[in-house]
Amino acid sequence: MEGEAGNFTAKLKSEPRFIDPLRCTGCGDCAKVCPVTCVSEHNCGLDRRAATYIRYAQAVPLVFAIDPEICIGCGLCEKVCLAEAVKYDDQPRYNDLKIGSVILATGNEVFNPSDFDTYNYALLPNVITSMEFERILSASGPYRGHLMRPYDREEPKKVAWLQCVGSRDTHHCDNPYCSGVCCMYAIKEAVIAKEHSHSGMEAAIFFMDMRTHGKDFEAYYDKAKEEGVRFVRSRVHSVEPVGDGDLEITYADETGEIKQEIFNLVILSVGFQVGQEGMELAGKLGVDLNENRFVKTESFAPVATSREGIYVCGAFQGPKDIPQSVMEASAAASASSLLLNDVRWTEAKVKEKPTERNILGERPKVGVFVCQCGINIGGIVNIPEVREYAKTLPYVVYVEDNLYTCSQDTQVKMAQVIKEQGINRVVVAACTPRTHEPLFQETMSNAELNKYLFEMANIRNQDSWVHSGDPTQATEKAKDLVRMAISKVTLLEPLKESELGVTRKAMVVGGGVAGMVAAKDIADQGYPVYLVEKSSQLGGQAKKLFQTWRGESIPAYAEGLAKEIENHPNIKVYLNSELKHVDGFVGNFKSTIQNGGEPEPVEHGITIIATGGKEFQSEEYSYKKHPRIVTHQELDQRFNENDPSLRSINSAVFVQCVGSREPDRPYCSRVCCTHSVESALELKKINPESDVYVLYRDMRTYGERELIYQEARREGVIFIRYSLENKPQVEVVDGKVQVTVFDPILQRSIRMQPDLVTLATAILPNETDALSQFFKVPVNAEGFFIEAHAKLRPVDFSTDGVFLCGLAHYPKAIDESIAQARAAAARAATLLARDSIFFSGMVAFTRPIDCSSCGVCVSICPFNAPRFIETGRDAGKAEINPALCKGCGLCVASCRSGAIGLRGFDDSQIFAMIDSV
Amino acid sequence: MSNWEPKIIAFLCNWCSYGAADLAGVSRMQYPPNFRVIRVPCTGRINPKFILSALRHGADGVWVSGCHPGDCHYIEGNLYARRKFALLKNLLEHTGIEPKRLHFSWISSAEATKFADVAREVIRTVKEAGPAQHFIKKQAEVA
Amino acid sequence: MQAYTERIREAAKRLLSDGKVDVVIGFRKGTIPFMNEPYLAKTAEQVDQLVWDGNCGVNLANYLPKRTDRVAVVAKGCDSRNIVEHIVENQIKREQLHILGAPCKGMIDKRRIKAELKGKEPTSVEETEGEIEIKGRDLKLTLNRSDFLQENCAICIHRNPVLYDDLVGDLVEEQKDVDRYADVRQVEAMSTEEKWRHFDDLIAGCIRCYACRNACPACYCPTCFVDESRPQWVGKTIDPTDTRTFHFLRAYHLAGRCTDCGACERSCPVDIKMRQFTKKLEKDVKELFDYEAGINPEMRPALDFYRPDDPQAFIK
Repeated sequence: MEGEAGNFTAKLKSEPRFIDPLRCTGCGDCAKVCPVTCVSEHNCGLDRRAATYIRYAQAVPLVFAIDPEICIGCGLCEKVCLAEAVKYDDQPRYNDLKIGSVILATGNEVFNPSDFDTYNYALLPNVITSMEFERILSASGPYRGHLMRPYDREEPKKVAWLQCVGSRDTHHCDNPYCSGVCCMYAIKEAVIAKEHSHSGMEAAIFFMDMRTHGKDFEAYYDKAKEEGVRFVRSRVHSVEPVGDGDLEITYADETGEIKQEIFNLVILSVGFQVGQEGMELAGKLGVDLNENRFVKTESFAPVATSREGIYVCGAFQGPKDIPQSVMEASAAASASSLLLNDVRWTEAKVKEKPTERNILGERPKVGVFVCQCGINIGGIVNIPEVREYAKTLPYVVYVEDNLYTCSQDTQVKMAQVIKEQGINRVVVAACTPRTHEPLFQETMSNAELNKYLFEMANIRNQDSWVHSGDPTQATEKAKDLVRMAISKVTLLEPLKESELGVTRKAMVVGGGVAGMVAAKDIADQGYPVYLVEKSSQLGGQAKKLFQTWRGESIPAYAEGLAKEIENHPNIKVYLNSELKHVDGFVGNFKSTIQNGGEPEPVEHGITIIATGGKEFQSEEYSYKKHPRIVTHQELDQRFNENDPSLRSINSAVFVQCVGSREPDRPYCSRVCCTHSVESALELKKINPESDVYVLYRDMRTYGERELIYQEARREGVIFIRYSLENKPQVEVVDGKVQVTVFDPILQRSIRMQPDLVTLATAILPNETDALSQFFKVPVNAEGFFIEAHAKLRPVDFSTDGVFLCGLAHYPKAIDESIAQARAAAARAATLLARDSIFFSGMVAFTRPIDCSSCGVCVSICPFNAPRFIETGRDAGKAEINPALCKGCGLCVASCRSGAIGLRGFDDSQIFAMIDSV
Repeated sequence: MSNWEPKIIAFLCNWCSYGAADLAGVSRMQYPPNFRVIRVPCTGRINPKFILSALRHGADGVWVSGCHPGDCHYIEGNLYARRKFALLKNLLEHTGIEPKRLHFSWISSAEATKFADVAREVIRTVKEAGPAQHFIKKQAEVA
Repeated sequence: MQAYTERIREAAKRLLSDGKVDVVIGFRKGTIPFMNEPYLAKTAEQVDQLVWDGNCGVNLANYLPKRTDRVAVVAKGCDSRNIVEHIVENQIKREQLHILGAPCKGMIDKRRIKAELKGKEPTSVEETEGEIEIKGRDLKLTLNRSDFLQENCAICIHRNPVLYDDLVGDLVEEQKDVDRYADVRQVEAMSTEEKWRHFDDLIAGCIRCYACRNACPACYCPTCFVDESRPQWVGKTIDPTDTRTFHFLRAYHLAGRCTDCGACERSCPVDIKMRQFTKKLEKDVKELFDYEAGINPEMRPALDFYRPDDPQAFIK
């Protein structure tokens, strides 16, 4: 790749597939006849696949390729492919791309434990990696989701997980970091395996520190314990074969006693690492890697690489889980679109909207197209019989069958026929609407018909393919399905995709780091932003913190950012202000900001909630009873002020999990372990002679933060573990601070009189009730907002046009807050970049005359689409905002009064299908 | 009667069980051809009157299948539906519909094996119940 | 009983003369014994017609939906629960209402009395704490009140109003150790075929007059499902399948909403025991979802709500 940010030229090589993806219909006949096989990479080598293959059944696009490594060139696949998609002479293609920016999302590889000789992974079939076990548990995996071990396909009765294989380890590998995800996935695998088990499988997880620091993870950990998953704090020494496929593991328990235990299956919880390919790619692109071979980034620019214009997200940036990867992905998109802001839309092609024939008042004229799908349908179902039968059905004016209805030439012909015959409803009897409905609907549009006047009969995936042994019944079923589809299609009506203008302005609630970053990204893209902050200044919690774990000054960053925000021409900052009222919905919010005196009405298209959190102030551990007992933020303030008295601290104690992971506040506050380690190191730096102790339950220095934990131990910081049942005591005795803690290694209590006790208190969310009601967004029991989907939509709410970032979502480190804020900005920009938004035509609607005002719809809709009409003749009755409706039909089915319909899936249409079965 | 085959109406959620049925096809799993599938956007869309209507039209069995709790494409449609179905199934059975005719399942789009297994099980149990006798509206009189 | 009447009149007068309400909904004597009728008093003079006794079984909540004026309403336990439902379901606003709570010891089943009179015409009826004195030509009868209650009243566990502004009598002791579902369990124990025949017989006499639907406070849809025309999927005839569909779905629409006030059975001209449908649902809602209809104005009915861990053993 050559050039510079905004103007790169990339040379791209695409490997040949040997099967034309444009012609391939995904029928799979080629794979059926292929005579050679090799191990399936997707199933981690646990089963085999043919040389003509598809990586997995949900792959997109769902088309086959030939693996040249194992293909023997026999020509069978070419012979059976009626779509003529096989191309043995396919060549690699080279493209020169003119691009402005690059996003690296190549991920990384899982650690291969073959060299870990004491675990015998390479030799023993029943020692497997967690990735292999994922495939075993998968419904589409090699064992179809049945819990079995590879050696004898027996169901294991006792399974062990060994954590930190290839993580936190510099002996067997060079991976000192924590991979950050293995604890959680091991628990998940254990819980699911127990569910799959028929014989009450026993699960044991051998771990060093249980790191369940993600949102809702600690609760899951607690639940797993309740469900009988055994957690053993130990690093396992070795795994040896015993008996017929069983395994004996040797480990030292917490008291140091050596123990042996036999399991039927041992799973190695392998970590991440950047592989050779990743390192080569970084080299080619001129992107620096850090000492752990991850792409080098800074805390305040978490997705920017060392080369301008190249961004990174996901596990190539550092070990992380799915939500964080997804956030970074959107953050990278935001960073990239800032760079390319000036050329937005310049390469976009506007699709011409074909005119639509008005069919109002026309009698239904149904055209039926029956697909043979080569021999996939035609080989089983008697197509001529189905075709002739369809001709006899009401409203049918035209029927034909095709070798492949989806092929390009048939589509062109289909559009012609529709026009020539005056067809106004179309039924295609073929594969499945899940893959092909959009294609046929496109043809409908090309034929000047509303695309919703279409219905598919699934006579391949749900007929010929699953009843291949019974052609007669399969044909009868195909006829029934065609009849049902016709009965529905005659009742379908053209639907309108309503268009609504977008107010291209943003509202950001909260002026902490997350709110400021989100506001700045949006404003930099040219959209006006209203930034509403409750307090008298910008900066939030960041002003009270000292530095990141990498040693970057947080207040300096926050102050710099606040200045940029205040001087930004596109940002209007409201200090000492709150939202008082909110109306409207995605694209069209109308809010009132209370700013001292006069309330100010503003209009905005999107909203970002970044209301932040705060440090918990506990009564516990004699807090406030002695000036030497402080919280993290109080200590940080002293670091920030360069307090000379810090130099005279000869002994310091950090108490972890103060108010976190307790019965009444069960979540882990995620950042406190790292914070304590970082502060401990700072104290050591100020006074190397001081004794520093960290009293902890599990050290959760996840990801590369593990490195400072290791550094702290090297520097002599002493870590003492305590349990919830036996918490340390912090008392004031004769004016002195006294700490008593039980040391599990020494097996006795230790008493200290430190100069400083720092309480690592929980992080609490700020007050959320009002916003939760204004935007109809949910809050969990702990007061954090609930995102639309924990993994896949971590910054969205289920309410469209409202987004989330920062501590209001969950406690997190500043780099994570920044990534999430940029992600929220990117998600918001997808709406702000448009003049208008279109909504699906398949939405619910009410008939006010039938509405009884009972409010079921208003109460149950997950998207707040129904509401009561406020004024006029129908006041008090429900109506549905098509802009918010997702078309699920929950309200329709719940309306006792029959006052709600659903376009495209209306009662009459479903009744018609039932009638015609 | 020995070669009687039941007709079963299956209401499948577009986002999960319908996909599982498709995937069962992709994997060429085999099950008997007794189902007629009606695709719905969500199990939350299924009005109890559809199930009554199916019985009224002489369906020998009804099978409703949707997303596992927590996996609903529309967040919580299946959880509301679960309550509705629990009461509906109980009341139908209480008033004399054979329990073997009514089936509910959670099947994700990846669970093709489960789909085929449940399909076979549903057909088997509906066969045990025999041809539908009750709740059928005589065709000639259908309004 | 006389004491209730006094207090109802006193409250009604006060509320009307203070302009607190526009109307008081209660009962007045009917033209024949055991048949009080709902009465809407709008003036102080009309108030004197208001009465209270064991023949006030009609559920006055049925007169509230869609009212726009300010209303005082006399409410027994069941009535008050239906009022709660109406508030939850936006049929009336709490602010519009002044609820005169009438703690209840059960309403008299006129059909049982009639059977006891064996064709003789009563001319006067006196009701005391525990007894009913009936007089007429060749007739003098003293009956034990508790033996002649409506079936739903005999097993009622919410005799006291759950929501009220004033009480017109002292709170009564709720019935303890009542077996509400003996009849439901009896049916549950039957075979499938017996169940089918049981309900076939139960509704055999139905003439589709919809009196049950009209008497039910929770049935207030502008268009009932049986009258739906898009499409018309239930016939309006007395075809057994159509009749069963009506009773089945009518009951289902009351799932988690029925308070077992008995209005349906009271009003049925052919004595159909349609509470056998609704009580099964009531039992299931209680057992599966731990919910009772009309108790808490803050809670939506059982089907407008879910818990993540709702029972799902019936789902594969």
